[in-house]
Amino acid sequence: MIEILSASALATVQDLGRLGALRWGVGTSGAMDPLALAAGNLLLGNEAGAAAIEVPVFPFQVRFTEDGTFALTGADCAARLDAVPLLPWWVGEARAGQALTLGLPRGGVWRASRAYLCLRGGIDVPAVLGSRSTQLRGDFGGHEGRTLRQGDVLCAGAAESGAPVSGFGLVPPALALPLQVDGVPAMRVLPAAEYTHYTEGSRAAFWAREWKITSQSDRYGYRLAGTPLEASTSVEMRSHGIVPGVIQVPPGGQPIVQMRDAQPSGGYPKLGTVIEADLWRLGQAPIGSQVRFIETTWDEAVAALDQMQAWLDNVHRLVGLYRRQQARS
Amino acid sequence: MWIDSLQQLSASLDDAGIGLLELRGPGVLLRLGRDAADVAAVGEQGVATPAPLPRTSPGLTVNAPSAGVFLHAHPMQSTPLAAVGTQVQVGATIGLLQIGVLLLPVTAPRAAVVAGLHVAHGTLVGYGTPLVDLDAN
Repeated sequence: MIEILSASALATVQDLGRLGALRWGVGTSGAMDPLALAAGNLLLGNEAGAAAIEVPVFPFQVRFTEDGTFALTGADCAARLDAVPLLPWWVGEARAGQALTLGLPRGGVWRASRAYLCLRGGIDVPAVLGSRSTQLRGDFGGHEGRTLRQGDVLCAGAAESGAPVSGFGLVPPALALPLQVDGVPAMRVLPAAEYTHYTEGSRAAFWAREWKITSQSDRYGYRLAGTPLEASTSVEMRSHGIVPGVIQVPPGGQPIVQMRDAQPSGGYPKLGTVIEADLWRLGQAPIGSQVRFIETTWDEAVAALDQMQAWLDNVHRLVGLYRRQQARS
Repeated sequence: MWIDSLQQLSASLDDAGIGLLELRGPGVLLRLGRDAADVAAVGEQGVATPAPLPRTSPGLTVNAPSAGVFLHAHPMQSTPLAAVGTQVQVGATIGLLQIGVLLLPVTAPRAAVVAGLHVAHGTLVGYGTPLVDLDAN
């Protein structure tokens, strides 16, 4: 249904992640911005967790080999269908032979780094251990367990019955659920087991200063640069289970935030954990940009997850109403 | 319609705390006020269409396809979708109506030049509100 035209672009097939597989030592994978992936799917009448293409490098181009309905979410990347500009967070309709081009992400009110291309019916790749996400470490899942290459052909799965509805969109959650400190994108963090092993000054600086996302940042983890964190006691730890969001501090004192392709165990001390409800904000923060961290509590973290789910439920409800109304007319 | 639906509508207005509902259709005007004393008119009657603005050249006015907040630019972008004076193709999105998280398109019914706007970006509009004037090229 679509053919990848771009040469190697690090794009991967992802869904909401391979949850429940950590016990076998299999990492989570899944979309770095799960909210964008879920919203794109809901726009098309798909299950929120259908597989889509995550695009981190631009320009990115595909050709539709047959007619198809698609949604673009995530970064606003000046998309075009042949020569016709497309709005971000929008449902489009392509004719066979048309090329869809995603350009460089634009700044604007929300600086984001990843775009999601969802197809009506979802990307049809086999589910492995309950997920269609690409597991790059293990070379399985997604499309042949690897990043997409020029010439790859991906098909859409069976769509729900009824005529496709296109030509409408969403206000992205970055605008509906903004979170910034002093104009810098922020994420809420729960202090973790070794938090108190760091000096008071270091802990205060962690919350008060900006952290730069270095070029050594990818789906595995984000290496941050800022005032080095100093431990007051040296910690020797055995490897233990970790999850996406965990902030590890290697001996140099520059933290690493584990992201979706993180390995399931590690031995560095843990300063904190970016809460699940804010991982999409970090997943979209571009390399070279600054972020801030906000100390939070368990209750606030759970409330934030509820708020995220409420936004998705609202999208589901309103999109459903609109799609049914359009189907009738 | 009507009586069952009216009771249902009126209950919905109560629940939502909405004071006045106005529905217009071809030859139909329905006004439902929540305060019983304020119920102004219920029935079918001819509806006068709003008087068009004086026009300098032949063209047409694009009206709101639904109620919503009129946006002249996408919320992620600062440049207008179709600035006054630009040429637009048939079917082009010349504005948006925001309903909650949804963005619905306001489209050009034919190729034209955007001649003027009736409402500012961010204005809450009702169904049929004149939004954009288009002039033939």
